Amino acid sequence: MITIEKLVEFGADTATGLARCAGKESMYLRLVSTVPKQPDFDHMAEAIEAGDLKTGFEAAHSLKGILGNLSLSPLYEKVCEITDYLRNGTEMDYSPLLSEIKAMKEQLTALCD
Amino acid sequence: MRNFYEDQNIKRKVLIVEDEYINREILGNILMDEYDVDYACDGNEAWEKLAPSAYSLILLDLIMPVLSGTELLARIRNDPNLRSMPVIVMTSERDAEVDSIKQGAADFITKPYDMPEVILARCERIIKLSEDARIIRSTERDSLTDLYSREYFFEYIRRIDTYIRDGKRDVLVLNIDHFRLINEMYGRGTGDRVLKKVADTINGAFRSSLIIASRPMADTFYVYCEHDEKEKGVNFLQEQLDKTFGDLKVRLRAGIYQDADMNIAPEDRFDRAQQTCDRIRGDFLSSVSYYDKDFHVKSVYNERLIKDVDSAIKNHDFVVYYQPKYDITGETPKLCSAEALVRWKHPELGMISPGDFIPLFEHNGLIQKVDNYVWDRAAWQVNEWKKKFGFTLPVSVNVSRIDVFDPQLEEKLRKVLSDNGITEKDLMLEITESAYADNAARVKEVTEKLRSEGLKIGIDDFGSGYSSLNMIMNVTVDVLKLDRSFVGNLKKDEKSLMLIEIIIGIARFLNVPVVAEGVEDEDQLKTLKGLGCEIVQGFYFSEPVPAEEFEDFIKKEVEKNDNN
Repeated sequence: MITIEKLVEFGADTATGLARCAGKESMYLRLVSTVPKQPDFDHMAEAIEAGDLKTGFEAAHSLKGILGNLSLSPLYEKVCEITDYLRNGTEMDYSPLLSEIKAMKEQLTALCD
Repeated sequence: MRNFYEDQNIKRKVLIVEDEYINREILGNILMDEYDVDYACDGNEAWEKLAPSAYSLILLDLIMPVLSGTELLARIRNDPNLRSMPVIVMTSERDAEVDSIKQGAADFITKPYDMPEVILARCERIIKLSEDARIIRSTERDSLTDLYSREYFFEYIRRIDTYIRDGKRDVLVLNIDHFRLINEMYGRGTGDRVLKKVADTINGAFRSSLIIASRPMADTFYVYCEHDEKEKGVNFLQEQLDKTFGDLKVRLRAGIYQDADMNIAPEDRFDRAQQTCDRIRGDFLSSVSYYDKDFHVKSVYNERLIKDVDSAIKNHDFVVYYQPKYDITGETPKLCSAEALVRWKHPELGMISPGDFIPLFEHNGLIQKVDNYVWDRAAWQVNEWKKKFGFTLPVSVNVSRIDVFDPQLEEKLRKVLSDNGITEKDLMLEITESAYADNAARVKEVTEKLRSEGLKIGIDDFGSGYSSLNMIMNVTVDVLKLDRSFVGNLKKDEKSLMLIEIIIGIARFLNVPVVAEGVEDEDQLKTLKGLGCEIVQGFYFSEPVPAEEFEDFIKKEVEKNDNN
């Protein structure tokens, strides 16, 4: 079960995230627990692998919006980084960034279980 | 007054268009206390939900699958029914913000979202702005013709005058003749179509690059535009009306104030054009009238006179002058009565000629007040002279056409006599012949009634109208007063001489005396005397003079009597 404490440990700015949910803790936690199931993580990785940076950008951009609103700071920052590269269509090796994102997502998934 | 915006019972509806569940939830949670929140997951779903006035506000995510926010925004802005619905876009892309504002978004919310208070405040502000703008839009234009309403029209003229200073301007007022009849005969729907046609044709008729128009009321149109030849435009409008409403015979009339004086207020410029337009009301020969300064000065002057009547009566600014009437049947002329004639000594405008105010007041009915005043003053004077000289000189007063229709006429006259202590024989009434043409029955009734009470009735301007003979056949009177034109034309015109002879013949037959007025010289006097005219008045004896001066005539008469 996800808790505020666990999220603080994860590095989330829970104060801001909670405030955005008008202080409703249960709602905040419920929304956070849906993040690991976001299909955009996979969509992003698949598109990048296929060399479709535009689709990759759209998926990354959606994730960025969600993660920012929930203030899941470490993951949000990484997704911002990859979003910027993808927006500019930068041809580069995305796997290190993707692995980092994947690892953080798995960490969050574990906290949610 | 109830404040609708702050009314807690009115919960406005907002639509959140956002493909991400989490974002929808967060935003919905922020807004749900203040608003009735509806959701759409993409542009298509949102488009399905949109209807005029369905939502007070749309919160729109720009990047969505199926139909993006950018595309939806463009659709909303191009739809005349949805155009006015405010949209706040939500984006994390800085570049998109400027673009969306350019495309007509009212505001934007960045992602990650600001704190709830900030979002609520933004939404509230945008809704309020949009509602205010809608109220302004609805009062800015006339809903029927889409022309500006009066207030906005004048406000925009002030702006045009301030910012575009070069060039001359024309001011036009258009009216439709007997518009009320069109409404009554063909129905309001037809009347409305006529008004719409005029409004829709104005721009094409006056090809000015700077033109604004208004329908301030009913069938009145105001047009403000650059100065050029305007009559063609009016004719074009008339042609278009004829084409569309041939059988209705819709007649337009225009008052044009060309190259208007920019130093006077726009409202006053249009007042001038309106007065100009009113001049040709009901005139089927002219449909265009141009403002003319002399006419304007005259109307302003007339307005002033009308405004000042009551105070003039109150302050005795109306002065009664008296012109002597002489009985010329004997060897020497003998003063037998006087005619009371009104003069106006205005405290600021000076002496006003009767020709300037009597026709004006006859036209608008104010003459009744003046006449009533003169009757009272004349009666008072008769009594004064009686006391002073022991001599009763009857005075005749004018009874205007409008007085004849006054149901209280008899009562008023009785009161004038009793208030001033004189008898029916001392005040004679002169009713103009033209009153008979207006309403023969009433004139007959009034004269009979007044005569039965002992008052003497003279017919003024006798022979000037076309009902002279008719009148004396039906109405019994006491004096015939020859129209002054007969006396004036005596020398150059034999016909006048003959007519006077005829009238005197008629008077003899009726057994009433004839009074000739306008007698200026001895020749006229001799001729009239020769023809058998009994009483004369005119400059030969004296012009109308103030009461004090008139006393000299009385004194002379008294002396003459004493000598005999």
